[in-house]
Amino acid sequence: MTYIENVFVCMAAPLVVALLSLKRGQRAALVFCLAGMGACLLSAYLNTFFARLYQADAVNAATQIAPVVEEIMKLLPLLFFLAVFEPTFARFRLAAVIVAASFATFENICFLTQNGADQILFLLIRGFGTGAMHVVCGNVYGGVLRPVWDSRPLRAACLFALLCVAIIYHAIYNLLVSAGGTPQLIAYFVPLPTALCFRLLARKAEA
Amino acid sequence: MIEFWDYLSQFLAVTAGFCAALRAYLKSREQPWFLLTCFYGTFALGTLYWTLHLLLRQETPQVFYVSDLAWLASYVFLLALTLTLLDAGERQSRTGLCWLAPVFCLPQFVLYVTRGDLLLNVLMCGLTMMLAWCAMRGLVWAKRTENGRLRRFYGTVLAFIALEYALWTASCFWVSDTLTNPYFWFDFLLTLVLLLFLPAVRKAVEA
Repeated sequence: MTYIENVFVCMAAPLVVALLSLKRGQRAALVFCLAGMGACLLSAYLNTFFARLYQADAVNAATQIAPVVEEIMKLLPLLFFLAVFEPTFARFRLAAVIVAASFATFENICFLTQNGADQILFLLIRGFGTGAMHVVCGNVYGGVLRPVWDSRPLRAACLFALLCVAIIYHAIYNLLVSAGGTPQLIAYFVPLPTALCFRLLARKAEA
Repeated sequence: MIEFWDYLSQFLAVTAGFCAALRAYLKSREQPWFLLTCFYGTFALGTLYWTLHLLLRQETPQVFYVSDLAWLASYVFLLALTLTLLDAGERQSRTGLCWLAPVFCLPQFVLYVTRGDLLLNVLMCGLTMMLAWCAMRGLVWAKRTENGRLRRFYGTVLAFIALEYALWTASCFWVSDTLTNPYFWFDFLLTLVLLLFLPAVRKAVEA
């Protein structure tokens, strides 16, 4: 059994203390870090709950329940930020990436506490694979919303559509990983080039 | 096996459409091309997930149809594209023929709800009904004003919606996993119609 709430407390404590020592305008990044980790913690509980509810086995839960739950949980703090603070596109994009990266970090830490840290090569591949996958899912909002940011109804519609895109990307990744063998290797190596593609496309769009 | 080839061919066709639409967007930087790219991209991701699931697990998803979310996202982008293309005059125009959309869609919606998930069907049928409504109104407006700019686009949207409903209805009365099943005829036709969006949007944008 993994006491992930204990891991969360341990991870969050220095961030909370750091928050207290920062000025009001400098706290945003740390708050999103905490939000990402909190979303990961809550996702773990919800995943277990829905897997029990639908009597899903481990593979079905990983490929059909976890992507939906995790991506919705990651979007919630961003929706709150968007609705309450009406940020600029650049700030929203930054928030999306921080939430995604901290979510991935917390997930990796939980993986380490469960499986140990003795296989550096596998951990390196998994760390970059899963980490990049979550960042790609966070980047979807930043990369695609720019052309429609000025139109509120279009932005709202696209936000929902992009949540679905993030879910399906995550689900494809989990499906390949759960298959093992070559598909698993492909899954670990796909997110990093996808992240680079996003970067290239964003540069081209800015040019 | 035929289901796998059906989805694979559809995925390849939609991916080709995605590449062509992306190229057109990077060249012109026009919003309709961007939304068409998103439409193709999301549709392709949904089809890819389904194809991979069939390939790797030899069965359709058992707990939740994650692909439906991607297809739902593609309808959102198609609706956004339809609303982006129409004229101010067309937006104000009214015609009784629009009511054909709910008359056609609502009975089918009732059928789907008795066999599937309520929320997903509400979203799917609601979005496709809005699309059909806009396309009917657009076709009538094009005839009234003798402006053929969007006629082909609206025709393609209507064909797309009609085939989607035919597919869903055929899946409610599943015959067999062979080519005798009308589901596969409709799906191969749908693949062709999906490719027609490219020339239709080109005509709408360039006219």
